[in-house]
Amino acid sequence: MIQRRALALLTLVLALAWLAPWAPPPAPRAQGVEVFLNVTGGGSKKLNIAIPEFTVVSGTDPQGTAKLLAAVAGNDLTFSGLFSVVTATGAIPPNNPTALKESWSAFAAAGAHAGVHGLLALRGDRLEAEMRLYDLTSPEHRLIAAKKFEGTLVQARRVAHRIADEIVLQFTGERGVADTKIAYVVGPRGAKELYIADYDGAGATAVTRNGSINLSPVWSPDARSLAFTSYLQGYPDLYRLFPFERRPLQTLAAFAGINSSPAWSPDGRLLALTLSKDGNPEIYVLTVATGALRRLTRHVGIDTEPTWAPTGRQIAFVSDRAGTPHIFVMDTDGANVRQLTPSGFQTQPRWSPKGDMIVYTQRRGGHQLWAINPDGSNPRQLTFGPGQAQSASWAPDGRHLAFQSDRLGRWQIFAMLLDGTPPARITSGGGEATSPTWSPRLP
Amino acid sequence: MATRVANIVVTSLLLFGVVLAGCAKRPATTQASAPAPTAPPPAASTPAQPSTAAPSMAAPAPAAPKAPAGAAMRPSPKEFTAIADLKDIHFDFDKYDIRPSDAKVLDANAIWLKSHGDYLILIEGHCDERGTNEYNLALGERRAKSTMNYLVSQGVQASRITIISYGEERPTCTEKNEGCWSNNRRAHFLVKPR
Repeated sequence: MIQRRALALLTLVLALAWLAPWAPPPAPRAQGVEVFLNVTGGGSKKLNIAIPEFTVVSGTDPQGTAKLLAAVAGNDLTFSGLFSVVTATGAIPPNNPTALKESWSAFAAAGAHAGVHGLLALRGDRLEAEMRLYDLTSPEHRLIAAKKFEGTLVQARRVAHRIADEIVLQFTGERGVADTKIAYVVGPRGAKELYIADYDGAGATAVTRNGSINLSPVWSPDARSLAFTSYLQGYPDLYRLFPFERRPLQTLAAFAGINSSPAWSPDGRLLALTLSKDGNPEIYVLTVATGALRRLTRHVGIDTEPTWAPTGRQIAFVSDRAGTPHIFVMDTDGANVRQLTPSGFQTQPRWSPKGDMIVYTQRRGGHQLWAINPDGSNPRQLTFGPGQAQSASWAPDGRHLAFQSDRLGRWQIFAMLLDGTPPARITSGGGEATSPTWSPRLP
Repeated sequence: MATRVANIVVTSLLLFGVVLAGCAKRPATTQASAPAPTAPPPAASTPAQPSTAAPSMAAPAPAAPKAPAGAAMRPSPKEFTAIADLKDIHFDFDKYDIRPSDAKVLDANAIWLKSHGDYLILIEGHCDERGTNEYNLALGERRAKSTMNYLVSQGVQASRITIISYGEERPTCTEKNEGCWSNNRRAHFLVKPR
């Protein structure tokens, strides 16, 4: 019910914004809070949301967690593409309904449609944050939702991500993707290690330190493990690592030839992969629990880079059987093979988690990301430079993509909305960062 | 010349079965029973575990996997060394067929290899940096395989040859021009005493 009301508010606001873009009045002052309308990224069709510094209701806050929570959650809401964040300085005073009402009135006057009041209790190394979401378009500033989140101080960013994801859930019916990780490859050619960072690039940490070449990481659907290719034993074999657990590396496939291009089935039981053990690169499906292998393709050309439809009933892949590499689709028993992309040079198909499109890399001079419908209709270009874009990975919402781009010189990881919003840079390290894989929502 | 290439292709196809027989095969090893998962990261409104990446990632690097059964059948690439008598061959962009001029290089390599039967051979397949990683890994594999098939057609024993693809991961140069790219699209030969 609450969600439906929030959705109605979003719909109303979007409709209003469409008819008459906001012309914000000068920022008024309220008790304890200074309000600014800060419309980011073509915000006229977005919901303006106020998220002032959290109110400390108990304990002391020497590390500035109250500010951090608001800033991180605000960034997440901006990144979602659904909101423009109305910024403020100062916190709403605690236990003061009059001050709260005045603050929301000031935010509403500055153009805010919704307000987030964060209440922060600190004790030792622990925090409890309560998120209260208000509809500022209603005269009484109706409470839409309230929810508490707990964690340790070092987890403050994660608590903020979960608050932002909850707010996105309230307005869209689907949880946001801020509480996710991105894994990727870092290093010069010849020595590449796997890293994991928060989806916004924070907390980047190496998860392999084997001095070998580690490639093509892909998250399992339970967000607990990564399958990847490594030359750890001299040859390109497939492994699985559990970055959040003290659990040994698992060997998934180490046949003669290449063991590459892992792709988890949506239920996580099966792994599609490329093996050349039978003569040339072919696609197989491995039952992870038993080691049973099923061969799907039989062609003298290259078949590689499988990607599952979210139904688990079809697999798209790359084959050069028509001369140059193109995207093909087949049933998961290998039948009904059909060519999706007509001519040119296409690799790296990634089926959307919503099922509605397949993103791929089109080579035409350099590389750019394209999308096509699974029936082969409507091929369209998604990135236009500067620089190249390749190796896309879907966020679990099917609205965002991570990819690698050399627009700043070195390869770095970027993320973007499908609507053409300029990409945000995720990695900032000195080395080359490539091959991102966006995790499912963390459990 | 065209006939020659056609012959090579036909010979390669005929020899395909021989080549397969010469390839070491070993089963995948997988772990069937997963231990009970440790507590997952927190759900909303439950106390958080130390679930951001940091704590567990501070753990030591994962142990090396146990050598899968049959691993001994693949000699370690580190045991092989390049030798001046064996020349690289090169490939056109996105191709893995042997060019006529490179066939002559391979003929010479085959003669040397046949007269040095006490050496095992490692053929590396490489790509330029264009294309994309996973596809290039497959392309490098095809280049190494075409090269192997040609050598076998010239009388080199398939059982002496191991192939490995490095895709675009081990270039000889990194300039962004055709001269460098064409150098990197190569099959490279290394040997070790039996």
